[in-house]
Parts: sequence; structure tokens; C-alpha cells
Amino acid sequence: MKLSKSLYSYYLIWPALIIYSVFFVLPAIIGLYYSFTDWRLDRDAIRFIGWDNFQRIFTDKTLLLALKNTLIFAVITVIGKNVLGIALAVALNMRLKSRNFLRAIFYSPSILSVLVISIVFTPMLRTEGTINRLFESVGLGSLSQAWLTDPSIVIWTISALAIWQHTGFQMAIYLAGLQSISKDYYEAATIDGAGSWKSFLNITLPLLLPAININLMLTLIGGLKVFSEVFVLTGGGPGNASQVVGTIILRAFGEGSWGLGTAMNTLLFAAVTLISIPLLIFMRRKEVTE
Amino acid sequence: MKKIGAGVLAATLAVSLAACGSGNGDSANNGGKGGKVTIELALSKSSQDSAFVADDLLREFEEKTNIRVNLQWLPAEQTSTVLQTKLAVDETPDLVQYNLMSAVSELNLERNFEILDNEAWVSRLENKEVLSAFGHVYSFHVSQDTGKQGVVYNKDVFEELGLSVPTTFEEFLAVCEKIKESGITPVFMPFKDNWAANVFPAAAFADYAAKNDPTLFDDLNANRKKWTDVPEFAAILEQQYEVYEKGYTNADILSDSYDMAVGKFLNKEVAMMFMGDWLIDNILEKDPSMNMGLFAIPTSEDAYLGSSPLGGQLFIPKKAKHMEEAKQFLDFMASKEIAQRIVDRQKYVPNLSDVTTPELPAYKQEIVDRYIAPQKMALTSEARTIVDSSELYRSLQDQFAGGKTAEEVLKAWDEKFNQLMKDKGAEGF
Repeated sequence: MKLSKSLYSYYLIWPALIIYSVFFVLPAIIGLYYSFTDWRLDRDAIRFIGWDNFQRIFTDKTLLLALKNTLIFAVITVIGKNVLGIALAVALNMRLKSRNFLRAIFYSPSILSVLVISIVFTPMLRTEGTINRLFESVGLGSLSQAWLTDPSIVIWTISALAIWQHTGFQMAIYLAGLQSISKDYYEAATIDGAGSWKSFLNITLPLLLPAININLMLTLIGGLKVFSEVFVLTGGGPGNASQVVGTIILRAFGEGSWGLGTAMNTLLFAAVTLISIPLLIFMRRKEVTE
Repeated sequence: MKKIGAGVLAATLAVSLAACGSGNGDSANNGGKGGKVTIELALSKSSQDSAFVADDLLREFEEKTNIRVNLQWLPAEQTSTVLQTKLAVDETPDLVQYNLMSAVSELNLERNFEILDNEAWVSRLENKEVLSAFGHVYSFHVSQDTGKQGVVYNKDVFEELGLSVPTTFEEFLAVCEKIKESGITPVFMPFKDNWAANVFPAAAFADYAAKNDPTLFDDLNANRKKWTDVPEFAAILEQQYEVYEKGYTNADILSDSYDMAVGKFLNKEVAMMFMGDWLIDNILEKDPSMNMGLFAIPTSEDAYLGSSPLGGQLFIPKKAKHMEEAKQFLDFMASKEIAQRIVDRQKYVPNLSDVTTPELPAYKQEIVDRYIAPQKMALTSEARTIVDSSELYRSLQDQFAGGKTAEEVLKAWDEKFNQLMKDKGAEGF
């Protein structure tokens, strides 16, 4: 197939390019500059201070905790959203009478605002809330937890909620991927005597790789940039126990340390890029074509 | 997205800078007609109810002095940014309405604003402190009605149980015990909102300093002392924790938020709370029949009530183009007749000795009699801290989550405080 002829002039790229440059590239560059300054609420002049902001970031205990929490959140949600997403997609790709209804049900949390989810779940997650009462009523009272107020488990609770909310979205992408796999392969495999687990491993998974790649990237980037879930559920608390990089940046801005906040931003941007691009290249190589 | 966020912030700043530069071109308008002078008064859009900008007062002022007052309404969420810019680029208004404490931390008060010590009305002030910083009167107001912070309590509950206002911490715990026995939660702690955990210490620290070490906060702000140097601070934090530990509070303090407070009082589920008198106003708004009161945080015997700084004062920038006219405006507002009218209208506790106090709501009158008149008030540590305190709130929340001891809270705050003061360029750090 050959499509060498360009249908439109390249000039048509300009409007988009200008908007992209003005609203993304330029602020990013300005932000990069400010991250090397002591730009502050109560200082008149903005001075260049080299790597001081970055040095401070890596010696700040709270920030290191935030970094750890961000990684926990990213890893847990990447695994949770994708494993459950594939499982749901495979299940709801079978011939079930209720499958359209079930697909809608599983997808629906992802269209809710995080704020709504916080309002619904915060009372449920209280120590005397619905979830703990449910455990108690079935004799599992020992599983009761202070879900959002115990510093050692709060980030896990938030991760679980994020998985609950977004798995349906990942499921939708996997469903689309599954439906593009030709039935012929499964037929041939059945004739060759492969069971359903074998055909899942050898047909479904490899041919689903493009969808897996997209989902891994989306969930990973989303996980590293986590902000709203933490912000609305705990505000980073109790204390600083559930701070993530996103909320710590807000904290720096709130304290008037604009230069420091921008430096954290730059760092987050760099981390997301450095993790996701090599991963993307690696995963691309693994993709197979039908 | 975050990247874009920072960019958008920078862009808005740039836009607001540009807007100030152009929008203010006519501020130096001297007006040709009959030598009429126009002075500019800049204030936030959120201060629309300000007593100083009532139409009739501005009209009277103009008739009397031939000076017109032009109001510059600043967008509420950008008031400080716009004012910082105006002051920096010499597009200075002649008068600014702002909060004194915020002016210190946000507008560089000493450098930008005129000292008013020698104005005629200063000699009539009853409480200079609410208008002063760094030992000088920098601002003007006819009221001394600051926010008060202490223990908000339901008087009916106290009456039914035959309790009286406790004056020591032991008495306070005994009162809690009695209330608990009656089936009512003695103290409501909504510490999901971490700032609420600082009401008790902020007032109690101030009480300690006022009685034992009057220069303590100046010393802290100059790095002559550290927050960890005062063992009484840790003791105070432990006292607040004790109230929780003894079971005198709501069970899930880290899940309950401030917005639940009014409902808890209306339903008589709780009897007390460490909070400001604004909560009483909010409760009475919903149910005027509630019988509420406020007493000092009883960490010491006969404790002082915490007071938050007065807000909405008028300032004159040093670079005001019509300094004399701006001072005339303050003289006009301070005149006995006008000040009385404002005070009556707003139900203020007046700050001018020849102005009489209007009939106040019952709880306010009680505060006046018990604390203001005998001068048993102290500006909270919160108000004396000139950097953002939210890290202290978080540490306090952590204390209740079991993550920090009282000493560790103060140590963490001391470190953060030092860093913020250093960043700010404060002397001594």
C-alpha cells in the first residue's frame, strides 16, 4: 500500500503548532527556568540559585515519603487496573446474556467525578463506617481498619479506590483489543487440542499486546501524576502520611515557595518521561502482527 | 498537566501584570473642575460590605472636603498579587483596605506603608495593638472587634448539668467527665480539617506567652528562641491530646470535618469545641434560640482568650499620590459622629474612646465583660507567625494519628519554620 501523496499542505499544521507551543512548550521552558530560581511570594527579586531547589527536594524527608507513596500508588494501580481490566474484558467478551449490562456497570465508576467518589466513600471508610460494619457482620471484625486515618494503610486504600474507579476504562480498551482478534485462531487452537488457558496465553495475550501497551502507559503516567484522589480523600493526611508528589507540589505553592514547587514539577515531568519513553520503546518491540 | 498548570499560573501572572499597568492609567486624575481631587481606594471584591465604602459616607465625605473617592475593586482571589504589583510598579492607590497581619506577610508592610503614629485619632484609640506592627500604628479601623478563640460551649447543657465555666485544666476535665456521663459528647474535634487542631494550641501558646514571656513570639520570629525551647508548648499539646485520649471527644476525630460542627451543636450531640466565635454566629444564624458562649482555653489558671487579628483595616501607601487627602479620609472616618454611625451599623466593639458601644448580642457582651474590658486577651500564636503554618497543622493531625509525640510535632514545625523564614529572607535565620 502506498500513500505518498500528501493531501493537504503542511501549512495547516501551523495553528495547532502555535497553540501547542504557546500553551505547552513555552510554559514548560519558562517552568524549567523558574525551577532554578528562588521565586517566592515574599521576595521582590527572582534570583538564579542553580541546583539548590533540587538539592533540597532530595534531602526533604516528607518529599521522599511522597516519592515512595507515588511509586506505591503507581505500581499498585498499574497492576490492579490492568490485571483486573483484562480479566473483566475476557469475562465480558464471552456470550453472556447480561454482558452489555455488566459492561455498563463496570464502566460507570470511571465517568464519576473523583469528588463524588470521595463524598460517597469517605463516610463508608470511617472507622464505624459501612465497610467495617460489613466485616463485623460477617464475623471478620478483625479486618476492620481505620482506612483513611491510619498512616500505614492510607495510601493502599486510596490506590484500591483508584483501581475500583478506573478498571472499567481499561476494560473497555481491552474489549476493543479482544474483538479485533480473529476467531480463526481460537478455532485452529481448539482443533489442535489447546485448552482455554493455553489459548489465552498463546493467542489472546500476544495479540492483545497493543492494547496492553496503551493501557500500561496510560495507567503508569496517570499513577505517577496522581493528585486528585489523594487531594479529595485525605489532602495528604493524616499528617503527611499520604502525600504524593502532586500534593507536595501544591503544598510548596501554598507555602509561597513557587520556585521550589516549579522544581518539583520539572522533576515529576522528567521522571514521567524517563520512565515512560523507554518502556514504550521496549513494549513496542514485543508487539506481534497477525 | 502539572506542567501546564505551572505555565498557566505564569501566564495569569503576566496577564494580571499587564492589566494593572493599563487599567490604572487614570489613577493620578487630579480633575480640572474646581480643584476637586480624586483619591483611589483599592480593596478586594470580597470586601463589598466594608463599612468604609458605604455610599452615604463617601458622599458626605465628598460634600465636606471636595475629595472624591474612587473605589478600585480587586478580584478576590488575586487581591494580594495585584496589590503587590501595584506597589512594585508605582501605580499605588492612595488607600488600601487589607488585613494587617497579611499585609505584614504579603505586602512588605514596613517598606510600603506609611506610619500613622502622629495622626490625631491615634490618641483616642483604646486598643492600639490591633492596628500596629513593629511598634507603630500602620493602619486604621473604628472597631477592635477581633475574632476570639477559645472553647465554644452550649450554655444550656452546662446549666442542665449544673456546671460552671472551668478555670483550670483539672476543672475542665471534670466538666468533660460530667458531660460524658450525661450521654453527650463533651468536645467535638473535627481534625480531618487539620487547621482545627491548631485552635487550642494557638490560643494556649498566646496565653502562656502573655503571662510568662511577653517577647516570646518576637524572639521566635528573630530566631533568638526555638519552638522546641519552650517545654510548656509541648505540655499544652499534650493537654489537648489528653482530652482525646480520655475519650471526651467524638470517636473518629480524623474523619470528622469542620462543616459538621454546626449540626452537631444544633442536635445537642456535642457540648463544646475549641474554635472561634464565628462558629457561634454560624450556629445562631441557623437557630437564634441556641444559648452559646465562649470561654478561654483553660490550660492555665484564669486563662486569656485568644484573639485573631482584626481584619479590614485601611492603609496609606508611602508612595500615595494624595497623602494629605488620604489622611483626611481617615480623619473623617475617625470623627466621633461618623465612627459612631459605623459602629452602630455594624454592631462593632468600638476602638475610639469617645464612641459608645452599641447593644451587642448576648454572647459578645459577655466576652466584652469577661475578657475585653479586663484586658484578658492575647493575640494567638497563629497570628504571630509570619509564615504559612499549614505544616504545623499537619504535624498536629499526625499527633492524633499516632505518628508524632508532642515534642516531635514541635521539632518538625521548628525545622519547617526555620526553612520558611530562611526562604523568606527574615533576619536572624
